[in-house]
Amino acid sequence: MRGSGLIEVEGVSRRFGDLVAVRDVSFRIERGEVVGLLGPNGAGKTTVMRILTGFLPASEGSVRVAGHRLDSDGIAARREIGYLPETPPLYPEMRVESYLRYAATIQDVPRSVRGARVEHALARCGLREVQQRVIRTLSKGFRQRVGLAQAIVHEPKVLVLDEPTSGLDPVQVLEIRRLISTLAQDEGRTVILSTHILPEVEAICRRVLLIADGSIRVDGSLEEVRGTDTLEAVFLREAAGRSERPDPGEAPDGERSA
Amino acid sequence: MRHVGAIAAREVRSLFVTPAAYVLLAGYSVLAGYFFFVGLGFFVQRVQQVQQLQMLEYLQRMNLNSEVIAPSFGSFSVILVFLIPLVTMRTFAEERANGTFELLLTSPLSTWEIVLGKYLGVLAPILLLVGISGCFPALLLLYGNPELLQTLAGLLGLFCYSAALAAIGCFASALTQNQIVAAVVAIIVGLILYLLEFLAQLAPPGVGQELIRYLGLSSHFQPALEGVVRTQDLVYYAIIVTFLLALMRAAIESLRWR
Repeated sequence: MRGSGLIEVEGVSRRFGDLVAVRDVSFRIERGEVVGLLGPNGAGKTTVMRILTGFLPASEGSVRVAGHRLDSDGIAARREIGYLPETPPLYPEMRVESYLRYAATIQDVPRSVRGARVEHALARCGLREVQQRVIRTLSKGFRQRVGLAQAIVHEPKVLVLDEPTSGLDPVQVLEIRRLISTLAQDEGRTVILSTHILPEVEAICRRVLLIADGSIRVDGSLEEVRGTDTLEAVFLREAAGRSERPDPGEAPDGERSA
Repeated sequence: MRHVGAIAAREVRSLFVTPAAYVLLAGYSVLAGYFFFVGLGFFVQRVQQVQQLQMLEYLQRMNLNSEVIAPSFGSFSVILVFLIPLVTMRTFAEERANGTFELLLTSPLSTWEIVLGKYLGVLAPILLLVGISGCFPALLLLYGNPELLQTLAGLLGLFCYSAALAAIGCFASALTQNQIVAAVVAIIVGLILYLLEFLAQLAPPGVGQELIRYLGLSSHFQPALEGVVRTQDLVYYAIIVTFLLALMRAAIESLRWR
């Protein structure tokens, strides 16, 4: 794309009434990067992701995905993105396979390869054994995987994952992390994932974007960020402007925008 | 517009895997059957009285269409004001409450595709409701000789009328994530449009009165019951539905990047 990044965010702000959820955020992400969007609850991680995926419009600023502007060329931009929101966007009454087929259809996967892509996503996410189950009857771990399968079924250039491991048990957390790492390494997908779990960033990501109070505080490779201090110390220092300390058990952020 | 069919088909399938659809259809059959049975019963009684009184001239003027079928369709139209909002209330509100709206809005779909897909999806159960309505006059074919074309005109009128109510219901659903709010708003708006005829009768004769009468649903529905399919009525329904689809699009577009 003429030497430009895969994702270019320029001067993006988002207000909800008087509240400024995201303040003048700019960053660029190159092809193949695995970026951890880090920050305490309520910092604006979910809002940033919703803006990137075209779900929420920004109040100011512009976003380009693979060269397509989200405001004027939204359909082309959205085609390049796979998105797993915080709550997986599942229809509880549908069966796993037909849900993925539907997701593939509305994500513009051509009819001729749709079956193969659905099969691939089912296999990738370990869903073969439950592919005929009704989503309502699945455990939380499986639902998360169905959500992930939905995000990768059209083989997008960019994967945006909002707290993909929240609420899962330790075994499931490891499984999902392994899956994300494979997607990034084997298939060369660009991944942006949000989390407030520091070891998760260290396990998966190469680059860290730390966001607090709606602004980017730290942007650098994991090595750079850890060069001077532990990731935890950096996190605590940058999030210190806020009265509360991060707590993984807390209600997820972004609810004010719901 | 390629994805309209996929969205509509998903809508229909989801509706028919829940008991709600069957309860609605069965409930409508029972209520409509009751009205029809009572209407037919009164008709039979009148015929017997007229026969006893030997009023042969009057007897010849009595007919099934104007004394049984048309009044029944009139009663059905009242039931539909309340039932159709229960079919349409989930269209958008449920997606917003479930989080699946994020999937729709971040997929490479145009807003028109979403709106048309949803609307066509609810027309399917509405076609069934109209089909059920047609079963009752069909029974009369076995025992009498109602005018077929007049009955079909009535059914067409019932369908157009229902399609207009469905558009109102879908628009109400596009405004909220609460299905009850969507249903109540749609019932009230539908009732007002239904009852606008009375206001027209009160209004001083003139352009205002004609306008009020034109806006009301009943002035366009009545002629069809008498077997008259008027272009002006079809144009009215087309305008109402198109206008509401445009409003739905605007409601969703207002959530998007512009």
